[in-house]
Amino acid sequence: MVGAGLVLAGVALLVTALPAFAQEAAREPAYRNFPWIGSRLAVWAVAQLHLNFAAFILGVPIFAVIIEIIGWRTRDPRYDWLSHEFVKLTFAAFSTTALLGALLLFLFVGYYPKFWTYMTSIFFPTYWVYALLFFAETFTVYLWYYGWDWLSGSRKWIHVSLGVLSNLFGTAILFVANSWVTFMVSPAGVDESGALKGGVWAAINNYAWMPINIHRLIANIVFGGTIAAAYAAFRFLGARTDEERARYDWMGYIGNFVALSAFIVLPFAGYYLGREIYAFNQTMGITMMGGFMSWLWIIQAILIGVLFIGSNYYLWLGMERIPGSERYRKYVPPMLIILAIGFMVWATPRSMVVTLDEARAMGGTHHPILGFLGVMSAKNTAVNLMILTTFLSFVLYRRANRVSQKPWVKTGMAVQWAVIALAAVIVTFYGVYGYFVESLVRIGFSVYQVVAVLAAIVIVMAIDIPMFKGARSTGVIRWGTIAPRSQYVLIILAVTFTWLMGLMGFARSGIRQHWHVYGVLRDTSAEAVTPALGYAANVISVVTLVFFALVMFIFWLGGLSEKGKAGAHGHVAPAIAGGSEDHG
Amino acid sequence: MRLPVGVKVAIVAIVVMGSYSGYANYIPQIESKPPQELSLEGGNVTPAQLIKAGDEIYKTKGTCEICHKIGQKGTRAPDLAGVGARAAKAKPGMTAKAYLIESLINPNAVIVEGYPPIMPAVDKPPIALNRSEVWALTAFLQAQGGTVDVALNDIPATVGAGGGGGGAAAAAVTMPGDAKVGKTIYMGKGGCLACHKAKDIPGTPVGPDLSQIAKIQTPDYIMKKILDPKGMGTVAGFPPGVMPQTFGQTLTAKEYTDLVAFMLTLK
Repeated sequence: MVGAGLVLAGVALLVTALPAFAQEAAREPAYRNFPWIGSRLAVWAVAQLHLNFAAFILGVPIFAVIIEIIGWRTRDPRYDWLSHEFVKLTFAAFSTTALLGALLLFLFVGYYPKFWTYMTSIFFPTYWVYALLFFAETFTVYLWYYGWDWLSGSRKWIHVSLGVLSNLFGTAILFVANSWVTFMVSPAGVDESGALKGGVWAAINNYAWMPINIHRLIANIVFGGTIAAAYAAFRFLGARTDEERARYDWMGYIGNFVALSAFIVLPFAGYYLGREIYAFNQTMGITMMGGFMSWLWIIQAILIGVLFIGSNYYLWLGMERIPGSERYRKYVPPMLIILAIGFMVWATPRSMVVTLDEARAMGGTHHPILGFLGVMSAKNTAVNLMILTTFLSFVLYRRANRVSQKPWVKTGMAVQWAVIALAAVIVTFYGVYGYFVESLVRIGFSVYQVVAVLAAIVIVMAIDIPMFKGARSTGVIRWGTIAPRSQYVLIILAVTFTWLMGLMGFARSGIRQHWHVYGVLRDTSAEAVTPALGYAANVISVVTLVFFALVMFIFWLGGLSEKGKAGAHGHVAPAIAGGSEDHG
Repeated sequence: MRLPVGVKVAIVAIVVMGSYSGYANYIPQIESKPPQELSLEGGNVTPAQLIKAGDEIYKTKGTCEICHKIGQKGTRAPDLAGVGARAAKAKPGMTAKAYLIESLINPNAVIVEGYPPIMPAVDKPPIALNRSEVWALTAFLQAQGGTVDVALNDIPATVGAGGGGGGAAAAAVTMPGDAKVGKTIYMGKGGCLACHKAKDIPGTPVGPDLSQIAKIQTPDYIMKKILDPKGMGTVAGFPPGVMPQTFGQTLTAKEYTDLVAFMLTLK
């Protein structure tokens, strides 16, 4: 933690010295060359690593505090222990995040001085806000973590408030950093020469800012959940006792549950972001979706397909350890078929780079039949049906060992099925209708599809919660007995989501093409070429590998201090094996 | 042999990421390269060369082809087949070339019915075509069923001026060199006048007229062009490989900055 403090002090010192840096930069060359790998790759790698760690330390505390609140209100010590475990994992990553942030700043100042001078000319006031928020968040998180025992019992509400407060500070930091990144994509508040016209708020509140804020906030929760679940999976696989296995099985389930809950709404945030990019600049939007980046979305579809199918598979495997779940097995094959078809539709490209002979054989660059599945109407329909199916998997898992005792159970279930069916019909109807209208009308249809799915989720849960309150149990969950392959699924989910974040980072940055700040500050360096997807994928893979290696190292370091202290901070791991009918 | 859990997990992670990378390398590899600057000012360009240059801009730097098709109705923008002929009747009292130029630099002046007003001005960032490029593009559009009669002077002198060169930071760019000394280098040691005309300095038209080079090109381009003329490409209509590659060695740093300072006065 001392490291984080030193880094923060260094950053603060740098912030105070920035005007001097800026003046110096004006006399400097626009670019310097980073040895061996070049400046672009150096910045890319450090930025992606920093983002991965930042996402982790921002995402995990959000659901850690939610879990703590659940434990506080239900007086269930398992949740309090789990929340503490998650924050411990986050805590170990704090210094590394700050260190990478400082390194990224040094790279910009040193290797892209002209760019940095320009950004400073716009955003200098926000640097102070960022530094102050960082201090505030660090101190609050310290107090949250170290005050866990001190602020327990009747003072627990103060502790929970500290958790909420640290998350608010963390989210505010995210929003400030997002303003810089999104300004580069969709600059606002500047004149034709690039100079700030009025206040800095206009530059902050650019087209992509709020969509990215929402998208990243949700994605961070997913990311934190998948990493925590992967950590639990790793511990599960190495566990020596049933008790340990049960504990980490449960931890993995909770991590995956939180990740999945957030993941379901992530595509909607993605639509919002895409729409705002089109609203900012049609050319940029078209380049993003139909230009040189079009294949990127096919890769994205594959990754999201893996996430959907993997999450569902984990839930289905998890049902095997729940007595009474046998009655729901029959639903698995049709759900798998819907997911597989949805996956195939989403991964179908609209147009392909083909040889002349192939183009002649197909009658153009679009396949005569499959080409129809490559458009947004088909893809929106596919993803909405996949979300609905995943939600259904969760509902079945949730009620696997419960039999409702409510007299209105038949009516309730009938309404639930009707709502899900109606949502599926609405999604499909607008998907088909979309082929017969202009693109501007078609884009609006995606809103109806999203609303139908979200409404179905809300209505079904609103019925489900009271319907299964006080339900009869068909047996306790046999935590720890889940098939080991399920744990590899959790690891694959974490790796895939991390890789996906790298890919989306490339997409966000790549759509600027040869501009540092789109349309305002041109990239005149020798590395202004936006690389092809193969090169980008190789970089993403290597950086993701480095990230996981660092995470493992940090977790190992964190674990060293706990060795021989089973009850460190008074947080003895609770017994979970065979202990609960609750799904969390 | 029983593998440790860490090794098994690492293998799974590497195989998963390797699959994603493998697929990404298997699909078509398309890079997005920064567009080259085109300068036609002062050159003896034939209409055919102009149309060819315009065709290239239409497909690449101009990004026109993303929305406009030729011979195919687009959902975002009108079909441009025959636009050269249609343009003459599009706006009463306006010639075809005037209409096309207006459509390029002020696209919202006339919106074709049934299409949304989404076209950006082509002379402004991020497309940022310079005057020569707008000239060539106009010629290409006229060639779609019309007669090519557009001249460089038809393109407003303000087209393509500024933008994208570094925002506020770039607006303040001044060279430390002495422009007066630079002029003597232009006429003397540099030997530039042997191939280029520059305002009142006569020159053999082996290379482009540089009388307005600071208006149509960025300082960055001018500086690079002197040091690496081959790497920066040859202006359309002129023979490639004529300009010496040796100025980086023959000129001192002071002479180089003086020369650039002089070039930046040519507006």
